[in-house]
Parts: sequence; structure tokens; C-alpha cells
Amino acid sequence: MAMPSSQQVLEALGGIKDPDLGRDVVSLGMIKELEVSPEGKVSFTFELTTPACPVRDRFKSQAEDAVGGIAGVTGVEIRMTANVRPAFLRPKPSEILPGVKQTIAVASGKGGVGKSTVAVNLAAALSRSGAAVGLLDADIYGPSVPVMTGSRRVPQQVNGRLLPIDAHGMKLMSFGQINPSDEPTIYRGPMVGKAIEAMMVQVDWGILDYLVIDLPPGTGDASLTLAQVVPLTGVAIVCTPQDVATDIAVKALQMFRKLNVTPLGLIENMSWYVCPECGHRHEIFSHGGAEAAAKRLGVPFLGAIPLEEGIREDADSGTPVVISRPESAGAKAFVAIASQVAARTSIQSFRQLPVINVH
Amino acid sequence: MEITWEDGAQSTYSAEQLRWACPCAECRGEGGSPGRLSRVKTLSDAELRVQDVTLVGQYALQIAFESGHATGLYTFSMLRRLGTTDRR
Ligand SMILES: Nc1ncnc2c1ncn2[C@@H]1O[C@H](COP(=O)(O)OP(=O)(O)O)[C@@H](O)[C@H]1O
Ligand SMILES: [Mg+2]
Ligand SMILES: [Zn+2]
Ligand SMILES: [Zn+2]
Repeated sequence: MAMPSSQQVLEALGGIKDPDLGRDVVSLGMIKELEVSPEGKVSFTFELTTPACPVRDRFKSQAEDAVGGIAGVTGVEIRMTANVRPAFLRPKPSEILPGVKQTIAVASGKGGVGKSTVAVNLAAALSRSGAAVGLLDADIYGPSVPVMTGSRRVPQQVNGRLLPIDAHGMKLMSFGQINPSDEPTIYRGPMVGKAIEAMMVQVDWGILDYLVIDLPPGTGDASLTLAQVVPLTGVAIVCTPQDVATDIAVKALQMFRKLNVTPLGLIENMSWYVCPECGHRHEIFSHGGAEAAAKRLGVPFLGAIPLEEGIREDADSGTPVVISRPESAGAKAFVAIASQVAARTSIQSFRQLPVINVH
Repeated sequence: MEITWEDGAQSTYSAEQLRWACPCAECRGEGGSPGRLSRVKTLSDAELRVQDVTLVGQYALQIAFESGHATGLYTFSMLRRLGTTDRR
């Protein structure tokens, strides 16, 4: 039998479409190092846009089926890898965060909705999937990430630059570490911008696939400044079923839209719980509100997280639940949301901008 | 102004058309009260000449007119709609 050609293999793989990017995986450049041996063994690298790809397994089996079905193919070997692509072709080389490919902000309309819990677990889930992840706690009012990750240490300085703390394999930096006293610092107006810029420029982040940023709550000065100083791929907004009802989350979303920060979507936290008495899932009053609001506002709904005692306990003891209890419903919810967020950021990197001509 | 879209389609806009389409709160009105564009019949020449166009974020253009009016953010989706309904 004739040996199958690379062309045939690529044609077969061209039938596989990336559901998020809306194009086939061959034209997206995801198929690399394709080889066909004289015996009909086909091997190639399938390069995903994120290790947290929600359709990783589906892609692999689709590719095996597509290539395996070509006449003359006697074996298929697929190496699944991932390469996160930078979100922006920056207009000028950025001094701010030069090695960081994607910056994901986590925001909320008000405090106490679980924004930091989500930021920490989102970062941990991306990190567990194999990505290089940094976590910047930019909540200058109540930095809680050092406690949630068990890393209340003062960062070291090398050649005038601060080294992020290693926290469960993530690179962590927090206002709580730079200023570890119990007195809260009051930052105002331009100081906020300066302080935040320092976190970007003076910290040696190195090469990161994702930098997750825990923003200050609300739509005040601090979050405004931050969104203007940091080049953000997008922002994920955390809310509880209650504050969707009161439109607080919607206000936050609208503020980011005004600042031209792409909304990655809404996350509903403390959405349902498993009753310790009867073991059943109980919905929280007005649960599902975020999903409905997302639809109404034309932004993606990224997922819902249960109210789970373990989530709080593990945060208090310094290990994010996705690491300490990966089998729990809460951890699974975070992992699913991380995949959604990663998929949304990949879309940003593949967006081609229109060409504008003004006469 | 001309825009060539990702799919190759082209849209052309006159400055006048863009000015009358300005989506800002002042022009459109807010909270039920009518905006400036519904209250005036004509605009001065300086209001109808484009001075500058800048890309904001990845989804919109900010268009500044010679009169100094620059508060309108024209999202690409809005421009796409505007361009095809008004093709020439
Ligand atoms: N899904 C959840 N289940 C149980 N407790 C949670 C959950 N999300 C957050 N918490 C707890 O709620 C409190 C507030 O969360 P936090 O992440 O600090 O909120 P924010 O950063 O929005 O102020 C913390 O004690 C946290 O452990
Ligand atoms: Mg917090
Ligand atoms: Zn019950
Ligand atoms: Zn206007």
C-alpha cells in the first residue's frame, strides 16, 4: 500500500475545529513537527493555546480518529503540548511585564464575595495544568493572598529587583508582603498607580504564561488606576447570587468596559451548597442570577462555585482547595472555570484587528 | 475612513456619518433625556471633520473631531453595522 502523504494527514486534521477560536486546528498553526514514516506511522505535535485547554482530550481523540482513518496509516503518535501566546502585539515593547504573556484580572463589585479565593484557586488550577503562573495581590485595601497561600514572607531583593515568593509552584507578590505591618496603608490617587507600577516593574516576574491579578474590590480609584497602568488581557468578575440581584457586579463590568478592558466573563461564587444534613445539593436563593446577567450583558458565563466549608478552611490554612482537595466539588468547579478563562484569553490572542485607514 | 475587516469585507464612512452616529452619552442622551444630536439639525464644519482616530483596547475606536468632541467610543461591532447598512 502507498505511504500516506503529509498533505493527506493535514487535510484530515483540517476537519477539526477549535470551538473557541472558530477555525480549524491546522490553519491555527497547532499542528507541528509532522512526520510520516515509510511504514505508515504518523507522528506530530499538537500545540494547544493553553495547557488548561477545556477540549484537550477531545482534540486528541478526534486527531487519532481522523488520521487513523487514512488509508495506509499504521499508527498515530500525538504529542500534546501547549504554548500560551501573548495577548497583545504590543504597540511598543512594554517595559511593564515584558515576559508575561497573559494578564488576567479578577475583580468584583464589592468586598467579601470571594474574589481573592477565586484568584488564588484560578491561579493554582492554571499552574497545576502545567502553565507558568504568577499571582499578584493588588488589593491594597485588604491583601489576603499571602495568608491564603501560606506565604507571609518578605520577598528577597537581588540587584535592586524583588523576587516573587514561591507559593505552591506559583510566583507570588503582594502588597501584604511589601508592607507586612498590621497597620493598613492608605493609598490615594496617584500613589496607587505608583505603588502598582512598582509591583510590575520592580518585581522580577520572569517568563509567565499567566499573571493572575487580584484587584481591589469595587469601582473606586484603585481598580481604575490599575486597569489603566497594567496591560490586561481581560477581567473576570466574581459575584454572589445576591449581588447580581442588586446590580453591583453589573456596575463593575460596565466600568471595565469603559476602560476598554475586555470582560472575560462572570463567575458566580457561593452559588449552591451540599447540605451536610441530607447530602443533597441546595440552591442558594437567586442562584443562577449571574448566568442570566451574563446573557443579558453579552458576556460569557465562566461557571459557578459552591459554598463549601473546605474552601474557606483551606484558604485559612494556606493551601488553595484545588491543591489540597482536588477531588472536591469546589476544586472541580475552579478547574472548570480556569479552563474557560484560559480559553477566553486564547481567543484574545487570536483576534485579528481590523485595518483602519483614515484619509 | 475605511475599515478592512478580518473577513476581508470593507466599509467606508464619511466624517459626517460618523459624527451623527457618535454613541457618547452627551450626543445620545442619558436616562431617558434626549441627547444633543436629537436636539440639533445641523452641526458646524469643525464638528464634521475628523482630527484623529485612536484604537482603544481591542474592540473600539475613539474618534476625535476638530471641534474637540472626542468622547465617543465606536465599538467595532457598531462600526460594522454602520458600514454595511450604509454601503456605497
Ligand atoms: N465558595 C466558598 N465557599 C466557602 N467559603 C468561601 C467561598 N468563597 C469565599 N469564601 C470565604 O469567604 C470569605 C471572603 O472571601 P474572599 O476571597 O476573602 O473575598 P474577597 O476577596 O472578595 O473580599 C473568606 O473567608 C473565604 O474563605
Ligand atoms: Mg480579597
Ligand atoms: Zn438538606
Ligand atoms: Zn458624542
